[in-house]
Amino acid sequence: MVIQACSCVMFLRSCSLAVRRSCTSAPLQTLLTIRPISTTWTARKDAAEKLDLDIWKSVMKSQPLHDEDPSPSPSALDVNRELVEMWHQAGKFVPKNITDEQLEDLAALTTKSAKRKYLKFLAIKEAHKISKKEKRDKKKSERDTDAETEEREKLKNTFLMKFWNSSMDRLQNWRAAQAMRFGQPLVYDMSYEQHMTQREMENTVSQLLETEGWNRRAADPFHLHFCSLQPGGAYHRKLLKRYGTETWERLLITATARRPIDVFPPEDLVYLTADSRNVLRTFDHRKVYVVGAMVDRSIHSGVSLANAKRLKLATARLPLDEYLDWDSGAKNLTLDQMIRILATVKDTGSWKEALEFVPKRKHCGFHQRQKTGAFVRTVKTQSVRDEPAARGQKNKTDGHKRKER
Amino acid sequence: MGSLVVSNSRTCMKHLCTWVVNPLYFRPGLPQYNIMLAVRFIINPHTQFYSTKGGKQAELHSRVTKEKGFTSRTRPAFPNSVFTAGTAKKTAEFMKKQAGMDTEEPSNNTPARSRGSLKVALPDHPLTTSEWTKFKEESSKPERFEVQMMERLLAANADVNIAKSLLAYVVQDKGTLSYELLLRYLTLCVTAGHHSEVFDTYDIVRTCFKTLDTGASSLFIKGFSQTERWREALAVLEGMKKGLLPSPRNYGDAIAGAVLHGDTETSWKLYDELLEQGLVPNQDTWQCLFQSGITQRGQEDKLFSVLSYMRDNQIYPEEPLIKTIKAWFESLPDQKWSGKFSFVALSGECKNCKASLESIQLTEEEYAQLKDEVMKKVIEGSDIFNKTTPEELKSFKSFVKQRPPFDIVIDGLNVANTTPKATHSETLLAVVSELEQQGLNILVLGRKHMLQPTRNWDRQNMDKIKQKAHCFFTENISEDDPFLLYAALHSGVHCNFLSRDLMRDHKACLPDSAIRRLFFKWQRGHQLVISHYVPGKRVRFQRISAYDTIVQTSGSSWHIPYDDNRRERATYEVPQKWLCLTQEQ
Repeated sequence: MVIQACSCVMFLRSCSLAVRRSCTSAPLQTLLTIRPISTTWTARKDAAEKLDLDIWKSVMKSQPLHDEDPSPSPSALDVNRELVEMWHQAGKFVPKNITDEQLEDLAALTTKSAKRKYLKFLAIKEAHKISKKEKRDKKKSERDTDAETEEREKLKNTFLMKFWNSSMDRLQNWRAAQAMRFGQPLVYDMSYEQHMTQREMENTVSQLLETEGWNRRAADPFHLHFCSLQPGGAYHRKLLKRYGTETWERLLITATARRPIDVFPPEDLVYLTADSRNVLRTFDHRKVYVVGAMVDRSIHSGVSLANAKRLKLATARLPLDEYLDWDSGAKNLTLDQMIRILATVKDTGSWKEALEFVPKRKHCGFHQRQKTGAFVRTVKTQSVRDEPAARGQKNKTDGHKRKER
Repeated sequence: MGSLVVSNSRTCMKHLCTWVVNPLYFRPGLPQYNIMLAVRFIINPHTQFYSTKGGKQAELHSRVTKEKGFTSRTRPAFPNSVFTAGTAKKTAEFMKKQAGMDTEEPSNNTPARSRGSLKVALPDHPLTTSEWTKFKEESSKPERFEVQMMERLLAANADVNIAKSLLAYVVQDKGTLSYELLLRYLTLCVTAGHHSEVFDTYDIVRTCFKTLDTGASSLFIKGFSQTERWREALAVLEGMKKGLLPSPRNYGDAIAGAVLHGDTETSWKLYDELLEQGLVPNQDTWQCLFQSGITQRGQEDKLFSVLSYMRDNQIYPEEPLIKTIKAWFESLPDQKWSGKFSFVALSGECKNCKASLESIQLTEEEYAQLKDEVMKKVIEGSDIFNKTTPEELKSFKSFVKQRPPFDIVIDGLNVANTTPKATHSETLLAVVSELEQQGLNILVLGRKHMLQPTRNWDRQNMDKIKQKAHCFFTENISEDDPFLLYAALHSGVHCNFLSRDLMRDHKACLPDSAIRRLFFKWQRGHQLVISHYVPGKRVRFQRISAYDTIVQTSGSSWHIPYDDNRRERATYEVPQKWLCLTQEQ
């Protein structure tokens, strides 16, 4: 009760201040709705307890936000900025702060849904940034307190020097250099610039970066070729931006503007595309596999197949259906998943091991070969995913039911 | 046949009635004594699954059907054509019921908004500050308490005074109100029609916030247009245009405001602006324009232009609108219009006035344009390798050129998949033979894998097909449908094509909606669909509509197709109900 009364007083103080201000500026009509506020404690309590349904109007009217006159003809940028700001206030999923550059991008979008999606994207980005910063700050403060309490670690008696990251880099670079000379080529075909939007292009470049990273860490790396990479094209510019010119120059891959068929004999090339009718059953160490460097968010099916048809190349798809009980999602995988699958199948020759890199959400597990030789499908359960041992439990009837549904 | 009737006797007898009372099932050339045959083809479930990629799905469902058997209650009366309004929905429901998925129907009573956090009952009278404070303490999510409470009040259609007391509490608690909360309150006022509250909120929002977002603008336009301050709605609409294009709904509300206050000039100005922006007006906008036409003369030209807009864009009025249109026609002085809701016979004759409707055939220019666009966009597209190869296209073109125009083009793989009861080549042979007996020049399109003898593709059957018809086999990775379309279009207006495929993906390749409508019209006039097929029996086809379903006039009469209230029409279907308006001489 005490607390409540206290807050009540606090409020009335601010309120009366507002009212006082409104006496000078607000029109008479506003004043009429305001109850007289007496200074005695009981009367104040009464005013609070009595039901005044319109008090919010007078309070709100007394606190206009913008005193200064807005410029007579605000620019389109300002209009958009204010609109975004109001959307934020209205609880829509838009960023709180938006830069001029982003506003220009926003204005360039033609449809309402495109604008909405872009703003949602920015809002998500902003939320990630904020939560990351919070985590960093928290960690930092924890570290600070730790540093105060704990003393410095004692030096240990060890027969190894500390294994630095740079030592690892040296090792990996050595391997990559070996691959550049003797490794099996793997081609990324970069001729899909015109099929992609800005966002898709950015995603592709991110995936290419991951690809190169996974390849570098592999025990027996591929010799990566970025073919049809036009110097000065959007791909090239984005890659340079992400890697930095210096790193890009020192990267142990082959980047060329030439097409794959100009670099390799066409009969050696196999274009990997999910639309192909041929299944890649065994990994051939003498072939040169080509992966289309394209992220396809809008559905352009058959683009890379058309490309392969034009170049009259052999095509193949991964044996996904042959090994996995596919559930949902497109059969096209990301570029980094592709290289992990290819690297594994190259090293081990086992598709089962390689296809572990297919996202688990897309399938319900591997087909199981029984002793009789018949294929039985496993049910999608957590246990199957987590413990390989549980895969031994087969349930024929359940698998059958799934299929029917 | 006898055994079939016996095995399904339960179903047959129940549905004999449907068949008898439904005139759509009467076909000329079907002898009346052959009623059992007719019953059988109505109840045959295998022929009625239409999908763009036939085979697998139909097979699956037919298997389900076989296992479950079908109960008479669930079997819908299938209408005549795939393009008939409601077919898709009925088919879907039928298939769902066959699959036994209708057991778990969600109860509609539980409100969607009831989340776990707010189980507390809503107040039924305005609360004081302390009462609200207590209320808030009880809630599990105090940080968003006000907004969520306001949303619940809105959902429950609560008294505005409760909402106001909530606002009063918030302003005393926090000293100010958030824009979000005001917006929710505004929604409540606009839906409940508290005009003075809308005005007050408008003044407050205007003074306290920099600008309005689109949601608030829409609400103010809607709120103001019903009152004497409706002109301010136009100002808000004007303000909206600075940021974003207003929606047809915004324009509709402003137009409704102008109409309500008798300012027809403004309403038509807004309507023209709406069309200029490339927006499609809402049905209620048209309804209120026709409504105003009843009370105020001098808008006849404009309203007739609305009808021709519907014609050009192939829009069909819904039931409330069609009633208003009818009332408007009948209210026209000295013209003596009389309107009747009517059907159109298969021959294209209006049941009411006996006049023939417009033919479904395209004009020569339209035909040439369609042919051109199908070639350019559907077959070649941006990359000819997507669907075929240049060599294949070239050989197909010369193949077509060397032969006399075809009467019918058959989608071999689609037709072969009609029934799971016969092998593919048998089905195809039966269909080809049936058409050949009619003396037609046939083209069968297929893929090369059909020529490799397998269980489904018998070599002898294929040889017989090749004798009876011209055949063209594309590569296995090429698409055959574009070739089908091209061959049919190339052969001329008399040429039909046979496929269950609705060709929606090919329609989507066309560049704009005008061409798509042209394609759809041609499709309705030229697509044959097998209506039922039992191996060993005659093949029957669904009737091709002879008339175009579109708003049309002959000067002294108007015929307007419309959607009835149930709205079960898929995008590739056309309505079956008509408004027939005739002028008494």
